[in-house]
Amino acid sequence: MASAILDRELKKGSAELLILSLVKDRPRHGYELGQLIEMRSRGALRFNVASLYPLLYRLEKRGWIRGRWVEKSGQRRRRYYRLTPAGGKILKAQREGWREFVEAISLITGIQHA
Amino acid sequence: MPDFKEEIRKRLEGLGLSPAREAEIVEELSQHLDDQYKQALSHGATEEAAREDVLRELSQNDVLTTSLKRVERRVPQNPIQMGTERKTNMFADLSQDVRYGLRMLLKNPGFTTIAVLALALGIGANSAIFTVVNTLLLRPLPYKNPSQLVVIWENATHLGFPKNTPSAANFLDWQKQNTLFEGMAAFAERSFNLTGVGEPERLEGRRVSANLFDLLGVRPILGRNFVPDEDKPGTKVAVLSESLWRRRFGSDPGVIGRALALNGESFTVVGVLPNSVRLPSFGNWRDQIWVPLAFSAEDAASRGNHYLEVIGRMKPGVTLEQARAEMTTIMARLAQQYPEDNTRIGTVVNPLHEEIVGDMKPALLVLLGAVAFVLLIACANVANLLLARAAARHKEIALRLALGADRARLTKQLLVESVMLSLLGGAVGLAFAYGGLQVLTRFIPPDVAHAEGIAIDARVLGFTLLIAIVTGLIFGLAPASQASHFNLNDTLKEGGRDAGAGVRGKRLRSTLVIAEVAVSFILLIGAGLLINSFMHLRNLDPGFRADHMLTLNVDLSETKYPDNPKRTAFFDEVVRRIQALPGVRSVAVAGNLPFTYNGDSMPIGAEGIPDPPPDQRPDVIFRAIGPGYFSTMGIPLVGGRDFNDQDTLDTTLAVVVSEKTARHYWPNADPIGKRIRNGSTTSDAPWRTVIGVVKDVRQNDFIAEPKMQMYFAYRQLRSLMPNALIVRTAVDPLSLASSVRNAIWAVDKDQTVANIDSMEHIVAGAVARQRFSMLLLAIFAAVALVLAAVGIYGVMSYSVAQQTREIGIRMALGAQRSDVLKMTIKQGLKLVGLGLVIGLAVAFILTRVMATLLFGISATDPLTFITISFVLLVVAMLASYIPSVRAMRVDPMVALRYQ
Repeated sequence: MASAILDRELKKGSAELLILSLVKDRPRHGYELGQLIEMRSRGALRFNVASLYPLLYRLEKRGWIRGRWVEKSGQRRRRYYRLTPAGGKILKAQREGWREFVEAISLITGIQHA
Repeated sequence: MPDFKEEIRKRLEGLGLSPAREAEIVEELSQHLDDQYKQALSHGATEEAAREDVLRELSQNDVLTTSLKRVERRVPQNPIQMGTERKTNMFADLSQDVRYGLRMLLKNPGFTTIAVLALALGIGANSAIFTVVNTLLLRPLPYKNPSQLVVIWENATHLGFPKNTPSAANFLDWQKQNTLFEGMAAFAERSFNLTGVGEPERLEGRRVSANLFDLLGVRPILGRNFVPDEDKPGTKVAVLSESLWRRRFGSDPGVIGRALALNGESFTVVGVLPNSVRLPSFGNWRDQIWVPLAFSAEDAASRGNHYLEVIGRMKPGVTLEQARAEMTTIMARLAQQYPEDNTRIGTVVNPLHEEIVGDMKPALLVLLGAVAFVLLIACANVANLLLARAAARHKEIALRLALGADRARLTKQLLVESVMLSLLGGAVGLAFAYGGLQVLTRFIPPDVAHAEGIAIDARVLGFTLLIAIVTGLIFGLAPASQASHFNLNDTLKEGGRDAGAGVRGKRLRSTLVIAEVAVSFILLIGAGLLINSFMHLRNLDPGFRADHMLTLNVDLSETKYPDNPKRTAFFDEVVRRIQALPGVRSVAVAGNLPFTYNGDSMPIGAEGIPDPPPDQRPDVIFRAIGPGYFSTMGIPLVGGRDFNDQDTLDTTLAVVVSEKTARHYWPNADPIGKRIRNGSTTSDAPWRTVIGVVKDVRQNDFIAEPKMQMYFAYRQLRSLMPNALIVRTAVDPLSLASSVRNAIWAVDKDQTVANIDSMEHIVAGAVARQRFSMLLLAIFAAVALVLAAVGIYGVMSYSVAQQTREIGIRMALGAQRSDVLKMTIKQGLKLVGLGLVIGLAVAFILTRVMATLLFGISATDPLTFITISFVLLVVAMLASYIPSVRAMRVDPMVALRYQ
């Protein structure tokens, strides 16, 4: 069920919103992003490696995020992704749109916020 | 730990990645899988289970390969070289832009329809007028090397004939003495009565030099042209026009060699010429048949008889100036040799093309200018629409800029959109043009040469395409540049606020309104001047009463009616029979009716008054008429008497003169009883006694002042024949046409009857050109006015809507509705007023080019300027009043909540 929803959401592009939100405050690497999404959604959303990385590459290609190899002492080097200014604007617009969408759905379906 | 790198690499095969990129991806993904593997172990999985778990995720449904293929497909295979990374593909971009533009246009059908219609109106008008200009002015004449062809006139400006028809002797001398012309040919109008083939018919035709058609380079479609040998008296050969051949001879090729009875003589048909042959002519003369000019010895020696038209072909490389200079030299020599006839006579050499289309040129150019203005206004309107829409699209544009879209690329895309709009407009406009031309061609004066060839051709299509593209660029440039200039930060900060409502957008829109008002003002002034001048023309008195009058040509055959008694008998009987018809008030015999023929003219000598030198003797127009002519025509007799049946060859020779003639010769005396003779006082012509004085009559048009005139009784003339009848009717004149014709055929069944027409129609024809340009310019000005009104209305509505909040605040604070109304109307009037002032200034300069089209008023006629200003002001006020009233009704609460 959850993965079916995720699939559909992926297509709609809200997966982008998730990624952008997560790299907004500080740079993160792919594995971390996957973990965070799974954790914060309490396991409802889960990216597998085969779909996560193509998505990251796509966002990078559009210039919304930017990946850089970072080496820390005693660790393997990792690729960290951070939000670009353009990505910031997109994030703002998408958050706005998402909020409106959720509100609209709530108004219709009568679901109240806690 | 298992090595996942190899597993990943396997799945990247076939993606065509660069080695570096592949290594990068392998590195990143293998790390992820390592982490995942470690986590699984830490949760207690066996090594084998953890490995399988990780690999299952990697391999799921080939997601990795297909997704990467989509993302990475544009990675260049070759190493990137500096500066070559951005590969632009103009056509790929263009097709993308076109598809995008199409989607945008379809998304907004209302906007698209209005914009396309406005553009179609503008472009259609341009295509239609250009089609006429193309056919009449631009298309070369259907002759061989037409630019070498010139028309040569005698210049007798001092006698009132700046382009006089040359005499035969002068023409023959020109032909002999010139060195710069390949050849010269002359021709003269002549009508023929065709009998013996069905109904008798009067044919318009010409006598032409035998070399004329070869000189023009016209090939007969049947038979041959004349040969030089045929250009002598007694050769009875004829060439037919294609239309005559098809109409009267059923396109029978056997017509060559056939004998025709023309004016009672037998002529042999030797050739048929295509319809495209059209010689310059006065009035509505349409050649249907040609015979050789064949000067008699007497003709060839005459220098006083001016009746030829002359066409010459300059040798290759000879310029017009050289040809003019040579003709001037030749004429100066002839003036020395023959001072009696040629003193102060010069020559005029004009390109044939100019002679044929010349007098339509100013009107057409003015019209072309007018439709360009209409298009400008349409452009301004569409630009306004686009600006308003650009404002609505600011989010889209801001977003695309935010995403790093290239501003140049964005501008280009917006331009592609507007060009698509104008191309659509052009396509619809072409349909408008086609429809418009069907109507337009009906109003083209009948005497305009080649008007029947007016049609949309490749050049018109090219022209339409060109103006459509240019139009699209012009009206697309303002919104596009605005869109690509706006400040991203401001736009995003403004949030829901309308970006186009910024100062910049407002200024642009205001400028467009000012321009629209100015341009439509200029057009309205042009139309107003033409209408005004047309009214002047129509209100002028032609000197006779044109209503309830039937006119017809009756050309008597010289062989059948060789002398005066026979002609008199014929006309007496015809007049008696027509007079008896019901509905006929009076009837008279006439010659060379006004508004159909200039009239022949000659100098006269008045008894007791010394003759001026030959070159200063003014010509007097003369006509041969029968009794009752003046009362039937409605020409008032101001002194003396009309001719009557007793004025014959056996009584005193009489003449009736016009007031102008009387004033010129006997300014302080009663002209009745004075005597004049043709030529001069010393000529051997008989004296004629003035028996009456009549009002002046206009000759050919309303524009030229009436010249001196005199009238002879046709019964007192041996050679000059009357050729027309006028019938004053109590009923619709044309309803009597067939009974009048039958009355003539009852007297002579072979007699031709031609040009049956009402005098009213003939007079109206004299102002056909003026009516043509007036009508068209009026239509275009009306279109411009409507477009401008729509434009002003649109901008005012928009700007009022933008101010809804301000209006609400004002009203909440106690402003009266009238205050709000005043405020918004004032804004509208400010723009209109500015437009008017600019339009006024430009119109003041531009209307001067119309001076040649105007009559009776100046190009800066104050009445027209004031009236048009008033009309435009009223329309503009209405256009800004309606949105203002709407603003006034705004509920302050609603207004405050707005936005």
